[in-house]
Amino acid sequence: MDKQEKFIVPIGPQHPALKEPGHFEFTVDGEVVTSATARLGYVHRGIEKAVENRNWTQAMYMLERICGICSHVHATAYCLGVEKLAGVEAPPRAQAIRVLIAELERIHSHMLWWGVAAHEGGFDILFMYTWRDRETVMELLEMISGNRVHYSANLIGGVKFDIDQKQADAIRKGIDYLEERTRHYLEIITTDETFLGRTRNIGVMTSDQAKSLGAVGPTARASDVHRDVRIDHPYAGYDRFPVQIVTEKEGDLEARFIVRLKELFESYRLIREVLDNLPDSELTVKVPRKIPAGQVISRVEAPRGELFYYIESNGSDQPERIKVRTPTLPNWGTVLSTAVGLKLADMPMLLVGIDPCFSCNDRLVYVKDQNQSLTEKTWSWDDLRNHGIERYK
Amino acid sequence: MQTDLNYQPLEQVVERIKTWARVNSPWAIHYNSGSCNGCDIELLTTITPHYDLERFGVKLQGSPRHADILLVTGAVSLQSRDRLVRIYNQMPEPKFVVAIGACATSGGVFRGCYSVLNGVDKLLPVDAYIPGCPPRPEAIIYGVVQLLKNIQNPNGHHPEKPLVITDVPPQEESSC
Amino acid sequence: MLDNYQSLEYARELLKPWVLSESTPAPERLDVELSAENLVAAVTALHQAGWGYLSAITGIDRPSSDPEQEGRIEVMYHFCWGGVVTTLRVFVPYSNPVIGTVCIEIPSASLYEREMIELYGVQFPGTPSTDHLLLPDDWPADVFPMRKSFTGFDSPDAD
Repeated sequence: MDKQEKFIVPIGPQHPALKEPGHFEFTVDGEVVTSATARLGYVHRGIEKAVENRNWTQAMYMLERICGICSHVHATAYCLGVEKLAGVEAPPRAQAIRVLIAELERIHSHMLWWGVAAHEGGFDILFMYTWRDRETVMELLEMISGNRVHYSANLIGGVKFDIDQKQADAIRKGIDYLEERTRHYLEIITTDETFLGRTRNIGVMTSDQAKSLGAVGPTARASDVHRDVRIDHPYAGYDRFPVQIVTEKEGDLEARFIVRLKELFESYRLIREVLDNLPDSELTVKVPRKIPAGQVISRVEAPRGELFYYIESNGSDQPERIKVRTPTLPNWGTVLSTAVGLKLADMPMLLVGIDPCFSCNDRLVYVKDQNQSLTEKTWSWDDLRNHGIERYK
Repeated sequence: MQTDLNYQPLEQVVERIKTWARVNSPWAIHYNSGSCNGCDIELLTTITPHYDLERFGVKLQGSPRHADILLVTGAVSLQSRDRLVRIYNQMPEPKFVVAIGACATSGGVFRGCYSVLNGVDKLLPVDAYIPGCPPRPEAIIYGVVQLLKNIQNPNGHHPEKPLVITDVPPQEESSC
Repeated sequence: MLDNYQSLEYARELLKPWVLSESTPAPERLDVELSAENLVAAVTALHQAGWGYLSAITGIDRPSSDPEQEGRIEVMYHFCWGGVVTTLRVFVPYSNPVIGTVCIEIPSASLYEREMIELYGVQFPGTPSTDHLLLPDDWPADVFPMRKSFTGFDSPDAD
């Protein structure tokens, strides 16, 4: 008997009995996933439209808030693009500080993701530890910027605040602590049997597939695709402080996990190098209120992958068009493809493997029996998570 | 504590027990109505050991049917409004709504965008506003605890006026 | 691994049969205008040659101030390879906003095409899904929020 069941995984908390937009849909044959689609958009706010009615500075405050975890890279991509249009370049010290904060943000993001990944795998104590460690980097960011989230370091033309000796020392100390913790986490990921059982050789994406599907960020680098905007097209201070690429060859879930943890070591190294070699200069350069007409493409490496901005000016004090393509979007495409052939129990880890937006964590799962009866079963995301944990015991 | 003279003594006691039970271990549910996750991060941080919202008895869980308090983040995107209303309707009375962050309060930087409603109170009665972008975990805890203190009157369960948290006293966290 | 200049030259070669006009707005960028009919062929050529990956599709509304002239939508396909970007530009008129779908060649482009359909009203016959990606289901069918003519709804919710 061919029993096809359809699982609908909505993004965001849902009422059990109603199918809603903003979800994943998995069709299952027994335990095996046979197809997957997605419907996004419950965070759609209409930002690209709104910025056309704001001046260049107001637009920046809005773009920063596209995502609370990637706030700085959005502002950096935007400011770099507008500076190019205006024909100016932010001073070297400002560019270095941009790099410093971007790497601190990367650490924050990866730690947050790692806690979530631990939680999905059933390691709740590990989740608590990683989030406690994450507090370290948030406190550092608050020390420098005044805010734990949305540091708002960027200005069009430079940065708003400087780093003094005392702050630099505190950062070094915090980084030392985090580096030791990361070593510990890397060991868990590569030796713990339960973890390996759920990540090794699962969800494999070959190098060709990753290239063809347009994967970006750690998701791509785990499949041995050498894609990192900081290296391919160094921006801000990355030409002065170059990054070494971190890749893995296996392309499975374990590789995606390892790449992110190993990248942290690169971030720690980079931060120390920036602190030891902060160039002496002004923090801002003057930028006109009206930006000269033209168009520019600005790409930066967010923690999740390439962030793409297309910015067009019509010569006025308001943007003509700002297009934002966030890194998660191409990576969703890879999930939908690699899900086919996997077990339903693998779905939680597969989704976590691309480091999706955090707000997608509360989910409900609907089970619809496609062929025979019209009974609808309701699972919560916790049930799906536990299903995964149980099956791998 | 005020008492209503129309209440029978037994009912007063039962009300006070119910209030105490509700105040001392309210269950909360969190709903992201389209936020950038900043507020959600800080809210989830409150359940980590460093801040530990649970020591005030507030349990963050996932079922509307068992929730006393609805914590909303985000400016309420069009796609999320129906779900928000449904969750609210599933909650048993008495129930309380807290708007966390500038977006939930008034739309924040997204006020006027075509795809948002400019804040939770366009849709639901809000009992407490915790401004910030995002508010710190201390501010969220303080706001929720203030709401709990206000629930402690047996007449109108809702605060007479919605609470607006404008300042968090520095020692408040340890005295709460 | 080709350097920036070689990469751009290679792209030029691949796109030669269909180029209407081209420019290099920045040292690492090649900008090529094509007709809508040739878009799929050009994308296929780049993709089959392994020239980078489709990174984004950008739409811009270009209304016309001249009543005799029809407005049009500009659609850009951005391919990234290492440090360089090749942009394919097509223009489609309001009266016939049709471009061939690239999803047969690049299935993950479906998400980008869905965005263009609902926000700009561009059509891609044969695209695997026309479900809304970002807008709610009850959004009016002929209202495209990213067109300049859309200035929001008169709603009691707005202040």
